[in-house]
Amino acid sequence: MAIDPMHQFAIHEVVHIDPVNVPGLGLVNLSITNSVLWMGIAALVVCGFLLASARGAVVPGRLQSLGESLYGLVDNLTSSMIGHEGRKFLPFVFTLFSFILVMNLFGLIAIPGVGAPFTATSQLAVTLTLALVTFITVIVIGFIRNGFGFFKLFVPSGVPWPLLFLLVPIEFISFMVRPVTLSLRLFGNMLGGHVVLKIFASFVIGLGAFALTGGLASLGFVGSALSLGTVVALTALEFIVAFLQAFVFAALACVYINDVVNLHAH
Amino acid sequence: MAETPKQATHEGTEAAGGHASGGLPQFDPQWWPGQIIWLLIIFVALYVVLSKALLPKVGKAIDERAGRIEGDIAEARRMKDEAEAQAQAAASEMAEARARSQKLAADAKAHAAAETAKRQAKEEAVLHEKLSAAETRIKAARDEAMGNVRSIAVETAQAITERLTGQAATAAQAQAAAAKLA
Repeated sequence: MAIDPMHQFAIHEVVHIDPVNVPGLGLVNLSITNSVLWMGIAALVVCGFLLASARGAVVPGRLQSLGESLYGLVDNLTSSMIGHEGRKFLPFVFTLFSFILVMNLFGLIAIPGVGAPFTATSQLAVTLTLALVTFITVIVIGFIRNGFGFFKLFVPSGVPWPLLFLLVPIEFISFMVRPVTLSLRLFGNMLGGHVVLKIFASFVIGLGAFALTGGLASLGFVGSALSLGTVVALTALEFIVAFLQAFVFAALACVYINDVVNLHAH
Repeated sequence: MAETPKQATHEGTEAAGGHASGGLPQFDPQWWPGQIIWLLIIFVALYVVLSKALLPKVGKAIDERAGRIEGDIAEARRMKDEAEAQAQAAASEMAEARARSQKLAADAKAHAAAETAKRQAKEEAVLHEKLSAAETRIKAARDEAMGNVRSIAVETAQAITERLTGQAATAAQAQAAAAKLA
């Protein structure tokens, strides 16, 4: 009866591809795993959704207004955080936001005949890669726009110079841990939510089965019903978390881009 | 990493159970490189498709709508201004017409009043003339009557004198006496 709450995160191959020799990395197993499969499906869903919603009708239908409000959300985010140049970075932030959002939401649905999709954002490898992509993009933008003036990011202005010996290392460290915090926040939220859901769901079945043994154990039905209610409530909460974490990731990406785009405004 | 190919082929749900006892499946390094490389490929592809094809379409639709709404509002505002101007013109025309009609009415009234006054004056003059003519006539008649009274008195005095004295008084004497009496 032991239900392993971690089993849902296990990766297995769906389509086997013989290991490829990637220069510098050696042999890499590039098989399509469940994680990769659902990442790809998430990307296709984002594309399909935008394709369906980008019909450009003057009076939008339901799907189009949903797509446009999503676009407006990210547009607001970039322009309010980055300023008038925000539009340039809208595609990047939108890609991050929509991709993460769809991967998060996949963890909360079940498709008849297919089962529950794999939640790719519950994989540290995935969130860390997304965070590093953001981090490296920020550094590249910083160097393109400011040259070596990029390093001014670590030098707070208006500070007496002896303090800089203390502040510059702090600034540098806080900059370098950004990908770690960015990835762990998303990973932790997804992991925690799914584990808790799985545990409560296992209570529903476990206590129910126990109650079936009869006698005093029938009280188990109460616990089973309570667990079921908790699962329903937690699922609602997890929908909020799924959206919020995608939004937070996008918002922080905007904050980081703003740091290097408006470097002299600080 | 070295055991990746061998283990990958056996990897399945049974193996996943084994991972759980050893920690989170997420920390199993054998799946990291594949996930990272595929994620990079998928992410870049998604970024290219979204930024080159799909997002500009959505943005264009939104901008077009905003432009259209702005244009429609401007058009509506222009029409409203036009209507207001027309209403104002109509109102001023009406006021002008009213003023004109009022002036006309006042003129007519003044004209009529003047005509009436003139006619009245003429009538009054005629009446006055008639009155004064009548007065003159009456005066003449009275004077004549008064003149007759004297001659009658003189004649009567002559007759009385003749009766009383038996001697006829001359007309001149009688007239003198009458003049004394008067």
